[in-house]
Amino acid sequence: MPDDIAEVYRNTYPALVRFLYRKVWDAERAEDLAQEAFARALVHRPDNPRGWLFVVAANMARDEARRAARERRHLTLLKSEPDAVHSAPEDEMDADTQRTRVRAALEQLTPRDREALLLWDSGLSYDEIAAQTGLARGAIGTTLARARRRLIEAYDVREGDQHVARG
Amino acid sequence: MSHVAEGVLHAYLDGELPAGERSALEVHVAQCEACRARVNEERALVERASTLLGAVRPLERPAPPFEDIRRAPTRSPWRVRTSFAWAASIVLALGFGYYLAGAGAYRLAPETATPTNVATQNRPADNAVAPAARDEAQPKTRARQEVAERRPPGGEREEAATGRLGATSADSISAKAAAPPSATVAAVPAPMRDSVVVAEQDVRGTTAAAPAPTTRMQRQDALSVREAPANTWPRIDRQTAKTILGNDPVGLPDVAPVTIRRSPDQSGVVVVEQKLDDRTVIQIFQQPNAATGAAGGRGSVYSEGARADRLARFVGNLRVEIGGPVSVDSLNRLLDLVRPLP
Repeated sequence: MPDDIAEVYRNTYPALVRFLYRKVWDAERAEDLAQEAFARALVHRPDNPRGWLFVVAANMARDEARRAARERRHLTLLKSEPDAVHSAPEDEMDADTQRTRVRAALEQLTPRDREALLLWDSGLSYDEIAAQTGLARGAIGTTLARARRRLIEAYDVREGDQHVARG
Repeated sequence: MSHVAEGVLHAYLDGELPAGERSALEVHVAQCEACRARVNEERALVERASTLLGAVRPLERPAPPFEDIRRAPTRSPWRVRTSFAWAASIVLALGFGYYLAGAGAYRLAPETATPTNVATQNRPADNAVAPAARDEAQPKTRARQEVAERRPPGGEREEAATGRLGATSADSISAKAAAPPSATVAAVPAPMRDSVVVAEQDVRGTTAAAPAPTTRMQRQDALSVREAPANTWPRIDRQTAKTILGNDPVGLPDVAPVTIRRSPDQSGVVVVEQKLDDRTVIQIFQQPNAATGAAGGRGSVYSEGARADRLARFVGNLRVEIGGPVSVDSLNRLLDLVRPLP
């Protein structure tokens, strides 16, 4: 059993960190939570470790978000985030701006649409997403279509706003 | 076939459409100009969304070795908080004070007392306890000093808390207990970790239910706190436990070392102690449900507590409470794992 989890760990850890990051918006915290989720999996030994991990991670992220909201530090997290790309300052600023904008766009989705989209982007199958969100499998395609469209719309609207503001 | 619904199209593009539907869709798209255009549109949408999401990703660092995670069950989910070091000292001090003050109360050492590690040699009924208490006082004080001395720089608040402990006034205790828990042991420098161990072992050796300085434990019935010193809880064997409980005692499956003790009075409480590792002893208090009911007022407190307090629950006919030097969260999970011992 631990071998199964070791396998899942190798395949899923980065995706789980990414999934968590997009919820807690703090890379180190996301790593901590992902590791905690795996540690719990070793104790609980779920039948379907991968699905289980994302359920647990989503719960931990929700608790985390509540706590963060309480501590009113949510908005400052992005500032301290190290940048993955080493590039010229202007590019960095652009990457930063883009990240902020995508994040804002993501947060305009309904929780359910956002969850489905983030799970899909983490590599979960429609079946797994259905199991986790409680949606019918047949509804996943529609949910993802809507989530993608709204994400892009929300992103573009903000971009338009910025151009207007600059011009 | 009518035109393809948006959701079906996305399922198709995601490679999630069942084989039958997929070929039907492909046949249709091959003949339908409009749907072909839509497939391309939606494909662009899917890719754009994916690109946008790609902009919000953490700096990807290599995963820590799985071995680190595997070791974690003894550490990570059952984290020992540094706050425990001094919180344990508080409990120690309290327990010790209580011990001295109420030494007489504990003297009703069980007539059938099975020899335990400490309370062995011909114990005259009346003054056995006091010398034992004094003997234990020395290591305890030392442990406390070690905790204070080996505190790394920066932990001033904790240091202060430990220092004040010498005075052990009841009012300062609540303040200390209310201080927020700090980082976990994993993040604590090694010397600090050692002192945590010292404190814990001390607690484990002297006060049966001490290691859980949470509000829950404070609320937890007197059964654990009041009758603290472990050496007045005689060790018993499985069969005796079964006789007292009317059931097999419960504990954590797959955790081998099991020590069973019973309360020195006639309350019918049995505690199963299991070592998760050499610094973590989990105590599982258990009592037949009927006994809690028979105890009159306490019975109702019990059952109320069981509902409000997730750290107590019923396993079969036993009311079970759990305590140990790990987080409340971990205790909760451990409590879920409790089963009748094989």
